[in-house]
Amino acid sequence: MSTNKQLALVIDLNVCVGCHACVTSCKEWNTSGSAGPLTDLNAYGASPSGTFFNRVQTYEAGSFPNTQTVHFPKSCLHCEEPPCVPVCPTGASYKRKEDGIVLVDYDKCIGCSYCSWACPYGARELDEERQVMTKCTLCVDRIYSETLPESERKPACVLACPTSARIFGDVHDPESDASKAIAERGGYALMPEWETQPANHYLPRSIMETIDAARNAK
Amino acid sequence: MRPQFSIIFFTTLVGMAQGLLFFVALLNIEGPVLSAPFLSMLVLPVSFILLTLSLVASFFHLGHPERAWRAAMMWRTSWLSREVIALPAVMALTAITFFCVIIGIVPTWVWAALLISILALWICTAKIYQCIRFIQEWSHPSTLSNFILLGLSSGGLLLELLLLLWNQPDIPLGISLISGVNFILLFLALNLKLWIWRRNQKLKPKSNLASATGIKGNNIRQTSMGFMGGSFNTREFFHHQTDRVISNIRKIILLMAYVGPMILLAFSMNSPNIVQIAIALSMHYIGLLAERWMFFAEANHPQNLYYQRVS
Repeated sequence: MSTNKQLALVIDLNVCVGCHACVTSCKEWNTSGSAGPLTDLNAYGASPSGTFFNRVQTYEAGSFPNTQTVHFPKSCLHCEEPPCVPVCPTGASYKRKEDGIVLVDYDKCIGCSYCSWACPYGARELDEERQVMTKCTLCVDRIYSETLPESERKPACVLACPTSARIFGDVHDPESDASKAIAERGGYALMPEWETQPANHYLPRSIMETIDAARNAK
Repeated sequence: MRPQFSIIFFTTLVGMAQGLLFFVALLNIEGPVLSAPFLSMLVLPVSFILLTLSLVASFFHLGHPERAWRAAMMWRTSWLSREVIALPAVMALTAITFFCVIIGIVPTWVWAALLISILALWICTAKIYQCIRFIQEWSHPSTLSNFILLGLSSGGLLLELLLLLWNQPDIPLGISLISGVNFILLFLALNLKLWIWRRNQKLKPKSNLASATGIKGNNIRQTSMGFMGGSFNTREFFHHQTDRVISNIRKIILLMAYVGPMILLAFSMNSPNIVQIAIALSMHYIGLLAERWMFFAEANHPQNLYYQRVS
């Protein structure tokens, strides 16, 4: 692991309630920010579709009555070994050395979609109207902003989350809240089998272990 | 994956041109076998037209074709970028060969360079797919072998058709011999395809919902992908056809790309005629379009794990 900065999100699955506030705040900020517009197709029709950098999905696990519902926010994981970057033929897709954010240069992108094929997580979406590849920027135009108050220099999704399920920080700095959360609460990466080393981590739900422990104690 | 028609036409047309040029270069590298008028008036112009058509087809894949020149930049890391360099190289060498034929002498190095550029283009094209390690259907050397074998078979059939069209006594080659070679190529390609299909069937996906979400517990299932109207993720990575359509297209591929042309070749082995070979090539090409469609359709992308249920 390099000693450079690697900004990332740590998502706490214990407290995410699936409200989609991060989805809408992401869309709101980014459609009017430097990454935008995130266009919508057929927005008021029968089958609306549009570009989003962040989605909240829902999963169930277990068998009745021991089931759990897990709300699962999903965005670009800003991999340390991003498979989407070397395949880009134009160099539009790149990983920043200074903070590890994976970005797309929209002026260089030829819209070939190859990077999206090379991402196992489906984190990239081709904007149908602009015909360029888009993805989570970790709100790169917010976090370094000099016009926003210091407390707001965080990704829009982090600020919007009502349950503080999203922790933003440098996962290479062992003293950051993000690193501490990963270390203390068993933070894990998605699809470790492809060795992409995602920077974003997820904190596993501990509620089922608590319930099991309570049942066993009876 | 969603079959991309621009790429289906690109890979089949360029493969046919490569196969044709490969045979021509191989035959002539030791000294002229095919006559100069046959090369300058038929083979090389036809190859160049096929290469141009494939190049045009590839542009339809791009959201911003006017920026296509940028795609040559990242040749150090990207097979797509290398392909973007290799295709014009093949076109340039085809043009150089054409002018050499017109002048009257084709140096050995020109044929050798043409051969090498053709092989390089095959490797680049196949590696674009083969290098995506988590699309397990593609990530195997059989992707390259399949592209080369089908390029050779379609190019060989085209060469046979052009020889019959030319119909001049200045061709020393036995046309039956070419029929035989084409038959063997189709037989090998058929066996490879059947082997690839068996391999794909037996593949065990390395990713599953447990590794994709990290949720602990058994019987993980999605209850909502987070939106209802579809997105790039629901459109780009799946063929959207029923199992029945897929199995019918498999039958069409076997019949049109392989078995049909092989029967026609077998019947015409002793005295090939132009109609039979023209039908064989047309069938083979239509079969190749279906084969390339299936190449995309049967590739399973792990991102689909995240998009299984609308709500």
